[in-house]
Amino acid sequence: MPELLEQREQLQATMTFLGAIASGIEQAIGESANSISYLAGKRLGMQFSEHAPKTDDIEEALSFVGKVLQENDCLWQFEPFKVHNRPGVISHSEQGDEVMLVFRECMIRQSLFKFGHHQKGSLCNMMYGFFSGALKNIMGKESSLEILHAGENGCYKRLVVFKKS
Amino acid sequence: MIHITIHDKACRGCQLCLDICPTNVFTFDAAAAKATVAHEEDCIGCLSCSYLCPSGAFRHEEHRIVKNFYRDCEFLSRMEKFL
Repeated sequence: MPELLEQREQLQATMTFLGAIASGIEQAIGESANSISYLAGKRLGMQFSEHAPKTDDIEEALSFVGKVLQENDCLWQFEPFKVHNRPGVISHSEQGDEVMLVFRECMIRQSLFKFGHHQKGSLCNMMYGFFSGALKNIMGKESSLEILHAGENGCYKRLVVFKKS
Repeated sequence: MIHITIHDKACRGCQLCLDICPTNVFTFDAAAAKATVAHEEDCIGCLSCSYLCPSGAFRHEEHRIVKNFYRDCEFLSRMEKFL
């Protein structure tokens, strides 16, 4: 138990440190902080999904991304969500396929709360990067993950998987 | 499915919940000057309406509360590699 308590202290200190870095980097370099977080997430996504199965099906690809996160002990659970006035979970446009995602557990959100930093900042781009990297490996396509709403108990995001050019 | 109740007497009709909700769960009843739940099935359980409401008029049921994972012993035991 003392070991676990020590680990808890370490984790909480790391989370606070993460929040402090995000806060500091945003003040120091402004919007460029988003790119740094994005690239860090993308690298992680590509690394973790290196051996993930390949598919062209977006729903299957999302389940693979979820599995990759779970296997690597990343607390970033998400689920596709359909509101009443949308015909299906996936909608198709000229750009590509679009899916709305709800994120409940999120390591980043909790780190930001722990430090007292605002949401929708640079660190949130890490998830955008992660999806971008993982989907590039799994589907071979580019994607974007836009934060529509960052809530206290969940976030709502729009994932677009672009058509191959 | 998440169930939302707006306490009728507590709601002051400020419409902050309508502004914050990302999935447009609420509508405004102009006659009663109160917010009403129109599409409960669209609630994602972010609880922003509840946090924002000045009168604390919201009650959510059957929703999932996100735990502070860094207090969870089982999860902590898996975090060693990140430290």
